[in-house]
Amino acid sequence: MPAMSPTMTEGNIASWKVKEGDSFATGDVLLEIETDKAQMDVEAQEDGKLAKITQEAGAKGVKVGRRIAIVAEADDDLASLELPAEEPSQEASATSPEPSKSDTDAPKSLQKTATSSERTSPPPSTSPPQKQTYPLYPSIVQLLSENGLSKSDADKIPASGPKGRLLKGDVLSYLGNIKSAYSSEQSARISKLGHLDLSNAKPAPPKEAPKEAEPPSKDAAAAPQPEPVAEPDTEIAVPISLSSVLAVQKRIQDTLGVTLPLSTFIARAVELANDDLPLSAHSKPTADELFNDVLGLNKVSGARTSRGTYMPQITALPLAGFVDSSAPQSSSKLDVYDILTGQKPSAAAKKRAPVPPGPGIAIGANTGGATNLFSVSASKGEEKRAKSFLERVKTILQVEPGKLVL
Amino acid sequence: MIRTLVPRAASRATAKPFISSQIPSIQQPAFCLYTSRRRGYATEAAEHDLVIIGGGVAGYVAAIKAGQEGMKVACIEKRGALGGTCLNVGCIPSKSLLNNSHLYHQILHDTKKRGIDVGDVKLNLKQMMAAKNTSVDGLTKGVEFLFKKNKVEYIPGTGAFTGENEVKVNRIDGQEQTLRARNIIIATGSEATPFPGLSIDEKKVITSTGAIALEEVPKKMIVIGGGIIGLEMGSVWSRLGSEVTVVEFLGQIGGPGMDAEISKTTKKILEKQGMKFKLNTKVMEGDDSGDGVKLKVEAAKGGKEETLDADVVLVAIGRRPYTAGLGLENIGLEADNKGRLIIDEQYRTKLPHIRVIGDCTFGPMLAHKAEEEAVACIEYISKGFGHVNYNAIPSVMYTHPEVAWVGQNEAELKEQGIKYKNGTFPFSANSRAKTNLETEGMVKFLSDAETDRILGIHIVGPNAGEMIAEGVLAIEYGASSEDVARTSHAHPTLAEAFKEAAMATYSKAIHY
Repeated sequence: MPAMSPTMTEGNIASWKVKEGDSFATGDVLLEIETDKAQMDVEAQEDGKLAKITQEAGAKGVKVGRRIAIVAEADDDLASLELPAEEPSQEASATSPEPSKSDTDAPKSLQKTATSSERTSPPPSTSPPQKQTYPLYPSIVQLLSENGLSKSDADKIPASGPKGRLLKGDVLSYLGNIKSAYSSEQSARISKLGHLDLSNAKPAPPKEAPKEAEPPSKDAAAAPQPEPVAEPDTEIAVPISLSSVLAVQKRIQDTLGVTLPLSTFIARAVELANDDLPLSAHSKPTADELFNDVLGLNKVSGARTSRGTYMPQITALPLAGFVDSSAPQSSSKLDVYDILTGQKPSAAAKKRAPVPPGPGIAIGANTGGATNLFSVSASKGEEKRAKSFLERVKTILQVEPGKLVL
Repeated sequence: MIRTLVPRAASRATAKPFISSQIPSIQQPAFCLYTSRRRGYATEAAEHDLVIIGGGVAGYVAAIKAGQEGMKVACIEKRGALGGTCLNVGCIPSKSLLNNSHLYHQILHDTKKRGIDVGDVKLNLKQMMAAKNTSVDGLTKGVEFLFKKNKVEYIPGTGAFTGENEVKVNRIDGQEQTLRARNIIIATGSEATPFPGLSIDEKKVITSTGAIALEEVPKKMIVIGGGIIGLEMGSVWSRLGSEVTVVEFLGQIGGPGMDAEISKTTKKILEKQGMKFKLNTKVMEGDDSGDGVKLKVEAAKGGKEETLDADVVLVAIGRRPYTAGLGLENIGLEADNKGRLIIDEQYRTKLPHIRVIGDCTFGPMLAHKAEEEAVACIEYISKGFGHVNYNAIPSVMYTHPEVAWVGQNEAELKEQGIKYKNGTFPFSANSRAKTNLETEGMVKFLSDAETDRILGIHIVGPNAGEMIAEGVLAIEYGASSEDVARTSHAHPTLAEAFKEAAMATYSKAIHY
């Protein structure tokens, strides 16, 4: 599935304009792709034959990078061709090099990014090598000749520039002069700058801050308390029970047969909780805020927030006093939807299981009592920010872990 | 990634394409015939493919583009002249004054050493304003002509939403008209932000609109706000003889986008020309009851208070979106806390057939940005895809010398922790600048330390505004400084300084 726009993640196949076995010429429309935004034609990059369609017309939600068909060279004999197997991982297929180039009989999978449509914005950063149809940049010609490469070698270098253009950085990456991913990472960053920044689009009456998590249970007193003034760097810790996460994980495994690692849940919760944190007391106001300050508008706008970069340290907490409010155990067949939306099954059994202390994540002997201490260090003035981060992680992990995988 | 995973999936689905149903109707040839037969009944609600509210740069460009795409389009403008702020009271008239005041200033002060003896030089302000008006009239009439050429219906009047597909127009000629449209674009632009406590009369307390229409040269002028508009208008009146003081809250002039080094250089040059600056200074209150205006200022971080007085105070602290009287409450459209209408990446509001472009929504308030958005927005409607590269939008300040930049500045790169190389070339080492006796300023390149990809270009110097076009092109194409350095530039030109700065970035300049 080619990416027709930088934001496209999946698409539907509206129709195939070329049948299996048919030949096509450069520029012919191969198929029509439908996204939530528009319907677009995919044109052939070069002459060829359609060997096999693997995603028929009407296929919905096909991920970008996933194979949708196999094309062969124009003069290939389809009957004698061996078709390559579908790559197991979708991600891998997006960047995988074209199959063996040993001879013309090797079919190529249709993995090209949409360079045909000039109207599209820069292609995803990790485009595969492709024929450079534009004149090469002067710096590239120089680099190639200095390193004994010919101009045709340029076609083998993955290009990260706008509209698939080869950049000096791409050649430097290819030659190993700089880190191989650097050039494509940079292109991704710059193409992000190319988009209108709507991250600060907040409706005028500022929304209320996310609901405060319920205060930690009394046993939390045993945990190190934040000390606001004493030290420059404060360790802030909150005990968080992972039992409902474990329950969800287990039920997903039982129902769908997929194991989602605990780290996935935690990483996603951290990601979510880092959004819109209150600013630390020391953060400098931006020019916009200063401007508003001059105009006396600062009272009108809502609380200042920004994205945090916290990464909590997780330690197992063995305190026996913890009682899990939700450690459901159920053997009856469950609806996956209920699990994912975080609805609690009725037959929730309370269990307690003491866990030996030590670093690492405590998940308990069974599904119950997996309380861990999540801690972050915060410099002076930042405690409130760190605290609200942890509270949010707690709410997400304890109350609605199912939403993390929806 | 996860944020999009969580709850928003459902709301996305509502923003379904309406394109497929729409394209055929636009392209029906019968449609045009239908239109011309119905022309006489202006008050009747004939359905339009597109109605645009606002005939400024965003609105008129969108209208012309839509006309070219074969849509039945109407453009509502309440000023009575097309072109909006830019053509009528902004970019265009100010450039006329900047150019002519510069000529006057040069003839007055800068002819002797060039070997030209000039007799009596006198300013005829009336004629200077007339020249300005001639330029403006010519250009706005030009837009009207383009409307006719591209079959855009021009409706002078004030538009307001009465329904999701319905705009009621109070026409300038007194009639009322209701337009129905499948698509509506809001392009109502912006207005100068007033300063709390000072009432703008455009005589003593003026905005940029008053600053291009003063009837006599004020003796003393204070400019509140040292951004681009303040410095340009301050320059005009300073050249014509005013004693101009610029009061700026931040620690640098030119606004936060200008590179700090360039800003410092510019300030020095402007000071040499006679402008005075008070940076890090806050205006506490103003009093315009007397003959002139009195301003109380103090250091931004608290400090001693001071009273400044002037004949005219120019308020140039920025602009804010203008959407008053548009009837947004009738259709429930939201603005953010700065009054910008909320849109998605395709300029759609939450009612996907209503889009917003230009100053009244997000992004820098620049005419050329609005123009790009207008074309992209029409392409989204007609083709389902459009694109504006917001990283390659140049900023230009038309003082003398000009200041221009594109991409990121040093402070922004440092903040993001990006390692970069810095290459500069002064105009004092450029042969053409030397022969022109205009050697102030420099070209500065910022490129990535690893890949040499150009991240930002900043120029202060003669002709910077034209020269930056090359930099924008380089950034659009992802060029490295070496690519620019290996491209031939004519000799002797100012643009050679651009090339040499690129050479200085990836290796060494030849002439410095």
